[in-house]
Amino acid sequence: MLRVPIAMPVVVETTPSVRLPTRVALLRKRRGWFFGLSGDQFVKYVFQGNAMVSIIVLGLITFTIFKDAVGFLPMNHANLVVYRVAGLEYVDLYRSQVTAHSAISRYLASVRSHQLDILTKQEGLAPAAAMARLAGFDQFANSFADTINEQETLLGTMTDLVTAVKERQKVAEDLVEAKRNLLAARRGATAERAAALQKEVDAITPEVIDFKAEIQPLRALKPDLTKANATQVAAMKALVAVPPKFSDPELNRQMAKFQGFVAGYFTEMETTAQKMAAWDQNRPIGWWESFTAYAFGREWVTASFWQDWYGVIPLLTGSLLISFIALLIALPLGVAAAVYVNQVARPAEQKFIKPYIEFISAIPSVVLGFFGIAMLGETLRRLSQWPALDWVPGFPMAERLNATTAACLLALMAIPTIFSLAEDAINNVPRSFKEASLALGATRLQTTLRIIVPAALSGIMAAILLGFGRVIGETMVVLLCAGNRIQIPDFSAGVGVIFQPVHTMTGIIAQEMGEVVRNSIHYRALFMVGVVLFLISLLINWLAQKIVRRYRIVAT
Amino acid sequence: MSTTAAAIFNRPTPAKRAETVVFWLLRLATYFVLFCAAFIFIDIGWKGGSVVFRTQAPFLNVPFLTEAPETLNVFTLDGQPRTMGDRAFRAFKATHEAELKGVRIETYVYSAGGIFPNIVGTVLLVAGSVLIALVLGVLSAIYLSEYATDGPFIRFLRLAIINLAGVPSIVFGLFGFGLFVIALDFGVSLLAGWLTMAFMVLPIIITASEEALKAVPRGYREGSLALGATKFQAITTNVLPYALPGILTSSVLSIARVAGETAPIMFTAAFVVRDELPWQVAKWTDFFFQGVMALPYHIYVVASKIPQNEYTRDVQYGTAFVFLFTVAAIAMTAVILRQRLRKRYKW
Repeated sequence: MLRVPIAMPVVVETTPSVRLPTRVALLRKRRGWFFGLSGDQFVKYVFQGNAMVSIIVLGLITFTIFKDAVGFLPMNHANLVVYRVAGLEYVDLYRSQVTAHSAISRYLASVRSHQLDILTKQEGLAPAAAMARLAGFDQFANSFADTINEQETLLGTMTDLVTAVKERQKVAEDLVEAKRNLLAARRGATAERAAALQKEVDAITPEVIDFKAEIQPLRALKPDLTKANATQVAAMKALVAVPPKFSDPELNRQMAKFQGFVAGYFTEMETTAQKMAAWDQNRPIGWWESFTAYAFGREWVTASFWQDWYGVIPLLTGSLLISFIALLIALPLGVAAAVYVNQVARPAEQKFIKPYIEFISAIPSVVLGFFGIAMLGETLRRLSQWPALDWVPGFPMAERLNATTAACLLALMAIPTIFSLAEDAINNVPRSFKEASLALGATRLQTTLRIIVPAALSGIMAAILLGFGRVIGETMVVLLCAGNRIQIPDFSAGVGVIFQPVHTMTGIIAQEMGEVVRNSIHYRALFMVGVVLFLISLLINWLAQKIVRRYRIVAT
Repeated sequence: MSTTAAAIFNRPTPAKRAETVVFWLLRLATYFVLFCAAFIFIDIGWKGGSVVFRTQAPFLNVPFLTEAPETLNVFTLDGQPRTMGDRAFRAFKATHEAELKGVRIETYVYSAGGIFPNIVGTVLLVAGSVLIALVLGVLSAIYLSEYATDGPFIRFLRLAIINLAGVPSIVFGLFGFGLFVIALDFGVSLLAGWLTMAFMVLPIIITASEEALKAVPRGYREGSLALGATKFQAITTNVLPYALPGILTSSVLSIARVAGETAPIMFTAAFVVRDELPWQVAKWTDFFFQGVMALPYHIYVVASKIPQNEYTRDVQYGTAFVFLFTVAAIAMTAVILRQRLRKRYKW
């Protein structure tokens, strides 16, 4: 396009016969082809419109994901409200007491197996004889376990009561939903059809449950609960007063610990009773709670007969744990390779290694995941069973597929990203820096470590961040190799935590999206997880750019 | 040379020794990475190769590449262990009804037959999405490199492109599912998969094409403009032809990326199993609205959704082999093309 000052359009119609001066005729704006645009302008707008696609797609992604995710909050709110008003919360308070008791019973079982070990291995008794020696202890443990029976029966009754109420509530909700659908269908229908639909709608009368009345049978159980607690306390006290005696000091120490647990149980019993007395069916649940139940919820339980929980924390910790391990592996290797290729390698080596590592990024993630299942998982587990490696925390691994298996493969995926970006950053360090350092008598190593790497640090940081983005957004490898146990990893295991199976945000979407009912709360919860992933990716991008821009070194 | 000088030059100083050690560590780290990648290729190449290749002519396991996945039936008849695909078994059963009575038959899904529909599906998915992405991407890149002048709009545009590149593929899957499959009611279909994956590779294609366009010297455009060509003419005659090799290289790389992705097609385009081939449709419009079987999704299904045993192992490794080496070949082409290109075009 000629960028020349354009004369005002001449009104041609009024003076058709007059020949314009050449200059004016040449510079006159050509008449528009499309909507008053010249051809060139039109082409420009076509290109521009095309470029807008990226913006539109980003906008659409944001809109689509958020639209489906936002609906989660009111649904989860309703979910939590039912949990409270139907009395599930009340029953769960009691359940925690019963669970605490069975934990003590499990402790007794572990003491027993420890004792059996001592008897058979140290004293060399035959299994049958050892069992006979343990008969007294077994009787003690059994009668201890029996002290909970009455409570368990009560808990069962309470559970049945509230699940029945919840079930009715669910049926009522479904009917309301059906009614709404029918009403929606009526809008566009013919008069005749509309009348038929109206009849159907009228026939549906969803039950309105009076939760206050429904909770009464539950409340009525209260004297029974108190009585059961009293008998249990009496029975346990009688039992604990005459504990089985051992000669082994270690076992006596364990039994003392057991006494402590029992004392703790008594206090817990009291606090539970207080909590149950203070429990208020009508205490309102705020909207904020609906959000925190997601953002800080420690449980992700779906399709359960009791209560569904949608807490993102187990998934988030799983994702972060895996990404952390993967970066721990990928970071030194990726940066080392970048430094090596840029500073140390011969040209021939460079020419081979650079495309090779670029090429690694083309390995499809699902193939890596398959390799993890078929090969790496088993290999790592065999390795962990090797007696010489027993000192490593977490060895031998309990599971073939765990966070580390996935992280090893993810590291391989992140290395090309980290390598290329870090190599670029090192390459961009002005030559004069290196020459000045060498001229001052520094060795190549000193130059590399003290001059070049620090100068390229911002680029390397950005590389690490983008590598992190690649790892946390990766789906197939974690879906196949991370073990998929929805639980917050047990950090009390120390470093061994890295060998536990975990579930991840990307994995849960891939695994459950295909099976959920559209627009259900579960469906929306998955979109909420998608929102978290999306926001994380935006944050990483923003940080990476900020770092690069802020600390860029320009040769002057 | 005096002895002092010899002592100075021959004995490595501590700094020099540290240098050697550290450089060797760096070298080891680098080659360790290369070794790990090579190991994966060798493992899958070895175990999968034995499924795909044969020692006798035609040296290829033709049924594996040309048949649909089938259920494998395993049984022992007359003391002889037999394995049969579902179709063969049905024919066999029709003739051997009496003998098969009381024989225990074990079935293993997807363990017989081949992966032909999966290959076809993957090719269709990749071709369609790359075509869409190329058109959108190259036009965007032309705008960015030829027309755009720095301003808030362009900065916003670049920001959008960079952020789009960082969005995880599973989020693209969710987006495609929410928008195309549900809101626009395409269903699980080729079209939904195409659009989802096209948008996913769009940033890659835009960035690479822009780089290729920017590499064409300014003089080419100016010469054309000076001769009176319009801007559009200048672009079509004097810029695009020289940028085309670079653009194509980038598109080859994006093919590898698209072919390798599983997460975005899981809920938008892929079926676990489908009996018809994609061209067996009633109306031609149905072609766009049908789901297909795809190689990566098949690997996922046979690797994790079905019970593992010695019979499924073959189909797992065979599929992984075909898939990995196809994608690797595409990526290799891109890498080699790019290196050649860098050598040839030096302005």
